[in-house]
Amino acid sequence: MSRVIALCFLLLAAVIGFLHIDSRPAWAPFSGNEVIAQEADETNQAQPEGKVTAKTKVPSQPSIASPRTDWLPDTGAPSVHAASLIALKDGAIRAFWFAGSREGAPDAVISTAVFDPKTNAWAAPTVVIDRVGAEKGLSRYIAKLGNPVPARLPDGRLQLFFVTVSIGGWAGSSISTMLSDDDGLTWGRPQRLITSPFINLSTLVKSPAVQMTDGRLGLPAYHEWIGRFGEFLRLDTTQVIDKRRMSSGRSAIQPAVFVNEAQDATAYFRQTRSAGQAKRIPVSLTRNAGQSWQSATDLEIENPNSAVAGLTLKNGAHLLVLNNIEAGRYRLVFMMSNPKSGQWQVVEVLENDEALPDQERKEFSYPYLIRASGSDAHLVYTWDRKKIRHLYFSSAWLERAYSQLPVQSNAGSSIEVKEAQ
Amino acid sequence: MNDLMQTFALIEMSITCSLVLMLGIQKLSQLKFPLAAKLLLLFVLTNLFFWRLGMFMELPLAAYVRGVVGDLSIVSTLLLWSTLLPSHKGAPLAFKWSIAIIALCFYPFALGLSMIDPYAWGYGSNIFLLAVLLSAVICALINWTKGTWIIGLAIIAWVIHWHESANLWDYLLDPLLVIWAIFALVSLFLQKRKEKFRSGYLFRPG
Repeated sequence: MSRVIALCFLLLAAVIGFLHIDSRPAWAPFSGNEVIAQEADETNQAQPEGKVTAKTKVPSQPSIASPRTDWLPDTGAPSVHAASLIALKDGAIRAFWFAGSREGAPDAVISTAVFDPKTNAWAAPTVVIDRVGAEKGLSRYIAKLGNPVPARLPDGRLQLFFVTVSIGGWAGSSISTMLSDDDGLTWGRPQRLITSPFINLSTLVKSPAVQMTDGRLGLPAYHEWIGRFGEFLRLDTTQVIDKRRMSSGRSAIQPAVFVNEAQDATAYFRQTRSAGQAKRIPVSLTRNAGQSWQSATDLEIENPNSAVAGLTLKNGAHLLVLNNIEAGRYRLVFMMSNPKSGQWQVVEVLENDEALPDQERKEFSYPYLIRASGSDAHLVYTWDRKKIRHLYFSSAWLERAYSQLPVQSNAGSSIEVKEAQ
Repeated sequence: MNDLMQTFALIEMSITCSLVLMLGIQKLSQLKFPLAAKLLLLFVLTNLFFWRLGMFMELPLAAYVRGVVGDLSIVSTLLLWSTLLPSHKGAPLAFKWSIAIIALCFYPFALGLSMIDPYAWGYGSNIFLLAVLLSAVICALINWTKGTWIIGLAIIAWVIHWHESANLWDYLLDPLLVIWAIFALVSLFLQKRKEKFRSGYLFRPG
């Protein structure tokens, strides 16, 4: 008799289980594809081929200002890292970063500040969340915080993802998230994203989320414990409702996703390969809006196991900011590509300590790019772990750089890129 | 809703920690506590784990444990809690073998071996749910209806989003359950070997 009752209960569980699966939202295509391919083509064709070389820096013209540079406000903390940005509703830009006595210290907090483009000034920094606040909100012990990444929800709310570690190093991270109704002035209680079956260990976030047409977010995340690989998390606000592997093994983390079309995207990774393997940028592709990913040939740009930032402009131009060297992080470059040709060109060397002796070289790392108006770009990156540098590239400057990209066949692209390094 | 979920998770963890502690005390002292004493001890310990005790601690004790091990699966939790039942019987050997074999196949792939990710099935695969239901039916067929109830409750907990996870795997399996299953199998193996050795020694021809 007890067996019959148990089986009846199981039948009930089965019915509601299948109904639950049936009620899950269908996988939606990528959103926000504002590429104007025709415009991009026209711009490219207008430029005579022979006049552009791979190493050519964008020539300065009096009418177009160079990228504007400043620093994120000082919090007084000796160590800062992992800055990110988001455009606010009033046109301002909000930055997030973590600051403390050292990376991973218990006193590290997630800080924020707002940049007013009218006055070109940063407001005083404030603390979004500290370790104790995260502990209380998540109802569990937290040892350290890091990697804040903001996103905009379709209903206008701001969402902040960040990683927390309870035990061990960054490999023991989990992702948590908070929501703000007032563009980041105040935040709700943090919530944990569950992404791994092994005590939810080792999922981190670094790159911006991707919008889907159903209003949900796709968040490029990565593992770096036993495996080092990328994952595409499908989120329903604060809950992971699906995830897909973007790479496997121990060689690629921190995916930066370029959405090409509604179903088509490319992810570039930070390589974490062992010695003797190619120090190039690993690539994965999807042709079904992130439902499955395939590894592709490496991008022929050197990568010293450091983060890559990517962005697509309204005109279709792709931007990358990275350290294009095999070891060290002492050089940071701004690269641009016409997706039609697939050629990457260095258009600006942002930092370069190559001429200095090894011990005097600084670290320039963790770049993060956003576009504010659609055709301009804001960049932040860690400057020697002591400061965060902010650069603004105007639409005119970017247009000019784009117009000066070489128009050549794909066959020549790898040569061009090698020259650019 | 999130506040309630966090409170329930802490209560759940407090009861689980208290129960483990109580079973440990019982084992070490070689005493068999009566049910009333067990419940009283459980109540006291659960309160100690759930409330913030002050001093140097910013959180309740259960939150520290939760920070390290996360939320246990419903299967682990209910298996442990069911030891309080007067008619408690241990899990069958077949169940422990199944947990160990599934875990050995599951974790390497879920943690990055190849592009196959069995953990992703837990978000909404009909086939995976069917397989879980089948295992619950097998539990009933081998006369372990407790297993059927536990798996049924785990499915319902997943549907109502009882824990933070939306993945069915997290309601069914966790590393501590796997460690328990492997430990039980190894203990059994060692015990049988010991018995065999003893019997061989006693009846060895002179």
